Amino acid sequence: MNIFSIIMLIFLIGCSIAVSATKNLLGAVIVFMAYSLVMAILWQQLNAPDLAITEAAVGAGITTLLFVLALRRIRGEK
Amino acid sequence: MNTIVLIEIGKILIPIIQIFGIYVIFFGHLSPGGGFAGGTIIGTSLILYRIIFGNKKAAKKLGFKRLMRLTCGSLIFYGVLKGYSFITGGAHIHAPQISLGSPGSILSGGYILPLNIAVGIVVAITIYFLFCLFYEGEI
Repeated sequence: MNIFSIIMLIFLIGCSIAVSATKNLLGAVIVFMAYSLVMAILWQQLNAPDLAITEAAVGAGITTLLFVLALRRIRGEK
Repeated sequence: MNTIVLIEIGKILIPIIQIFGIYVIFFGHLSPGGGFAGGTIIGTSLILYRIIFGNKKAAKKLGFKRLMRLTCGSLIFYGVLKGYSFITGGAHIHAPQISLGSPGSILSGGYILPLNIAVGIVVAITIYFLFCLFYEGEI
């Protein structure tokens, strides 16, 4: 495991702690998107590019979009 | 949303995203990707179309009936093709099969390419429906 992967892993742990510690909901969603993107890079480093594409498309794209829409619904905005 | 910047950028960006998604589906058996990942990318482009061009214009091109027909058609196609593959392969019946083609080209891998296309269509439309239900409560 090279240095780049270790840095990414540390960043991943920091992201996952920040998601649960953040009070602002929209900020938590955006940090979660960053977590997913770092996870995609890590899958690529672990020789699983198939999973990396799926993670980048679903985790960083669709899930974040649905979270933001759910936040909008919670706040009652139209 | 009707800003002109958004509309012009969308006109450029949406076809590129769709071409990338089609590439990921069609090369699913040669390179990373496949039906699910490519279908998700195409679904994202449909969502972008819906956000930029609004409800009415999206309903004209992506009507509920048309999309539902497409989804059910590809689902039935998947079931028939995969069932045919299972039955003729499992029972050692010498029925006509799709030719395997030359390794490395797009038309190789037998049943994988048409099955990937069917999966991609189903996933794209399902994700678009999911977004519409969250966004406005109706498709």
